[in-house]
Amino acid sequence: MTDVRRRPAADDTMANGPIRPSTSDGTAEQSRSHATTAAAGTRRRVGAFATAAPFTAVVAAVEVAIATAALGVPLSTAPVAVGLVAFSVYAADHVADAEGDVGSTPARAQFALRYGDQLMVAAALSYGLAVALAVGAGPAALALVLVPGAVWVGYATDWLPTVGGLVAPLGDRVPRLGGVSVPRLKDVFLLNSAAVALAWAVAVVAAPLAFARVPVEPAHAPTVALLFAYVAARSFVDVEVPNVRDVAADAAQGVSTLPVVYGVAETRRILFAVDGVAAGLLVALVATDAASGSVVAALAAGLGVSVAVTALADRLDGSTLGVAPDCSYLVAGAVLLALGP
Amino acid sequence: MAALSPLSVALLVAVSVGLAAAILAWRERPEPGATWLAVLLVGQVWWATFLVFELEAATLPAKALWYDVQWVGVVAVPVGWLFFALAYTGYDRYVTPFTVAAVSIVPAATVAVAAAGDPGNLLATERVVRETAVGTFLEVVPGPLYYIIAGYTYLLGAVGSVPLLQLIRDDARPFRGQSAALLVGTAAPWAGSVAYITGAIPIAGLDPTPLVFVVSGVAYLLALSRFRLLTLAPAPRRRARQLVFEQLHDPVFVVGTEGLLVDLNESAAEAFGIDRREAIGKPASSTVPRYDAVRDLADGDDKPRAIPIVGRDGRRPYEATVRDVVDDHDRTSASVITFHDVGAYLGQQQRLSVLNRVFRHDVRTETNLIQGYAEQLCAESSDERAVSVIEESAGRILELSERTRTAGELFDPTQEYASSPLPDVVDEAVADAREIDSGARVEVGRVPEVTVSVVLRVVLENLCSNAIRHNDRASPWVEIDATVADAWVDVTVADDGPGIDPAEYDVLDRGAETPLRHGSGIGLWIVKWGVDHLGGRISFEEREPRGTLVTVSVPVERSGVPGTDR
Repeated sequence: MTDVRRRPAADDTMANGPIRPSTSDGTAEQSRSHATTAAAGTRRRVGAFATAAPFTAVVAAVEVAIATAALGVPLSTAPVAVGLVAFSVYAADHVADAEGDVGSTPARAQFALRYGDQLMVAAALSYGLAVALAVGAGPAALALVLVPGAVWVGYATDWLPTVGGLVAPLGDRVPRLGGVSVPRLKDVFLLNSAAVALAWAVAVVAAPLAFARVPVEPAHAPTVALLFAYVAARSFVDVEVPNVRDVAADAAQGVSTLPVVYGVAETRRILFAVDGVAAGLLVALVATDAASGSVVAALAAGLGVSVAVTALADRLDGSTLGVAPDCSYLVAGAVLLALGP
Repeated sequence: MAALSPLSVALLVAVSVGLAAAILAWRERPEPGATWLAVLLVGQVWWATFLVFELEAATLPAKALWYDVQWVGVVAVPVGWLFFALAYTGYDRYVTPFTVAAVSIVPAATVAVAAAGDPGNLLATERVVRETAVGTFLEVVPGPLYYIIAGYTYLLGAVGSVPLLQLIRDDARPFRGQSAALLVGTAAPWAGSVAYITGAIPIAGLDPTPLVFVVSGVAYLLALSRFRLLTLAPAPRRRARQLVFEQLHDPVFVVGTEGLLVDLNESAAEAFGIDRREAIGKPASSTVPRYDAVRDLADGDDKPRAIPIVGRDGRRPYEATVRDVVDDHDRTSASVITFHDVGAYLGQQQRLSVLNRVFRHDVRTETNLIQGYAEQLCAESSDERAVSVIEESAGRILELSERTRTAGELFDPTQEYASSPLPDVVDEAVADAREIDSGARVEVGRVPEVTVSVVLRVVLENLCSNAIRHNDRASPWVEIDATVADAWVDVTVADDGPGIDPAEYDVLDRGAETPLRHGSGIGLWIVKWGVDHLGGRISFEEREPRGTLVTVSVPVERSGVPGTDR
């Protein structure tokens, strides 16, 4: 599993995706094989943890900030709130899956096992703060932020499958509720990546609007739609890129991913095509004058990083491949900061 | 983002802290009380959240809407508090779907009234927007239902506080810390609520209750993390103590100061065949076995002595201890009477003492005899009498040894004795007796067809062989008879011998031998131990004109078939 695939967990709940990916993040593939040894100390464990939940939180916040600029809405507490939610969800996830993660990400798992209670307090406080920020921003923001919490309650409770069974007949009309239970979305080929990408796109685009209390007006609709499609496309690539590295392990476990089904070369072509779609969306943004020049430039820079990472997917080592797709957003954020919104 | 009012900012702090505590509490499930603490905290968060919405709403209808939504949280808090306190302190038998539903009627009705738009102005007779320095909120003139739910909230809060207050006086430090944090966390909102109702708040119309939830949240968080609120819940202690009382092997009775039975444990009901439901509330004198003797124990400082009591397993010796239950004001509220079955202990003690005497006295006497006559044989090898004395003496040692083995089997805890019809038991004993002396007349009277333990055979064998061996007549006579009454069977063994020296059976009654007062041999002791083993009793009488009548009373085996006389 990869950072990207895990990253949207806070939001993939909205698309019925699993909030707690069963395997740990891809950043640690290198930790798995060689970075972490038995002699790994606390510093290394802290480092391993810092590159997980806090890093994800920062990336999430940067993405929402870029989206805020792209949408041209006033800056709100959305980036902070989404970052806090991402942190709490991933920290709680690391604690919950710590024992299972010992094999794949030993350093981070050991940290989570050792400081499990403290991490849970931090996660709870982080989520509480995010909800408080959302309450301050109004009902729409509150509803957005409560979704991951509600699904967490469901995951941590046994009665959810029961509820899922009760609402199953309504599944067609209430796909969100019906889909929370079986079958596990993450086990379905392509749908898992697509759901994660969509959830991520919803969160990144909806949070700035909800927190700034800006209703979507017809004039804004094209910007919102294009940005949504762009984030979805980019997130899809981010999810699938690290799968190139995991192809052998996924194939062994019977997990269907693009590289497993189509091979590495074909996967790269597909991902280039998706990046091409994202580039087309950027062109559309420029053509319709739906976003400022600096925003488009920043997004283009991020896209450039993504294309480069895709091209090098089978040559980068595990740790780099784990964080590289996420770094594209940091690059985009830096460009935006340099150019000014 | 739009600037929030100062009150809203304060409430947001309450929301974030309260929600964090709620998540941590929820995560502790299924620890006792975890779910209800989460309900309580979520109720607080709900209230504060929608109060923020109310404060930030621009119009009166919008404010009124958020005000009504707050009721869900307002009524959830006391319900969560009550059931949390009960579950957490081990009174979870009061936390049932029925009690939860019953307690939730008034809160649910309140929410229903709020949802229906407050028909008849039950909750609020007047709502006006009030602008203050800390925020713009809805000022409400309470309606009748408002006062009802407020009073109800205080009622539930007070009820829930009782078990927690008991906990705070507990001697276990972590529980005191937990309890103090809980009380602070709960007292804070109520202090605020009281201040609101009594008009002590400088800003009229402002209910500070949800604000002081910050204090509650911090207190609960502290309790959760620092005092391990839920992972170290005291709830199991109540159950554990109850369990010890119930599962204690010794029968226990609790007698109130008025002499009425307050409680008894399973073992007491089982051992003495008492119906618990019927017995509780009855005078102890009619329910507690040998209550008169036990009560005397409580008064004097006598050395504990065994009191024989007839229960389900027959007659067993019990040592009773009486302890007063004293409350915090040094007032005796009840006595706890514990019966400890000392049968096995007494038996082992007697066995040790008797075996000691057998070695020290009986074997030594025989050995001296053998030694003396052996010396005489050395001097005069043709002394026939010396040879026969030595043979007889060795035979007695052999017999003593065999009886000692029989006695040992009676004390083997792993030995399980079967049951057998009484006539078979008597027949076997009689057959053995006839082998001792073919000239003996052994008669068997009416023997009822009841089932008894085969240990009775050992008892009867020894009684019959004693009657024949120690009989000085040429043709000894022994008769066995039996009668059944009230699930007990009396078996009598009569003989026409010279009678048993009263010293022999007195020592059995006393239960212990001394160097000067002891029996001879081990046969009568085997009889006593066998009878004790069966929970029976034994008595000795002299017959006219001569002989002895021994009566052994033992309980009929419960599995026994109701019999007909032979």
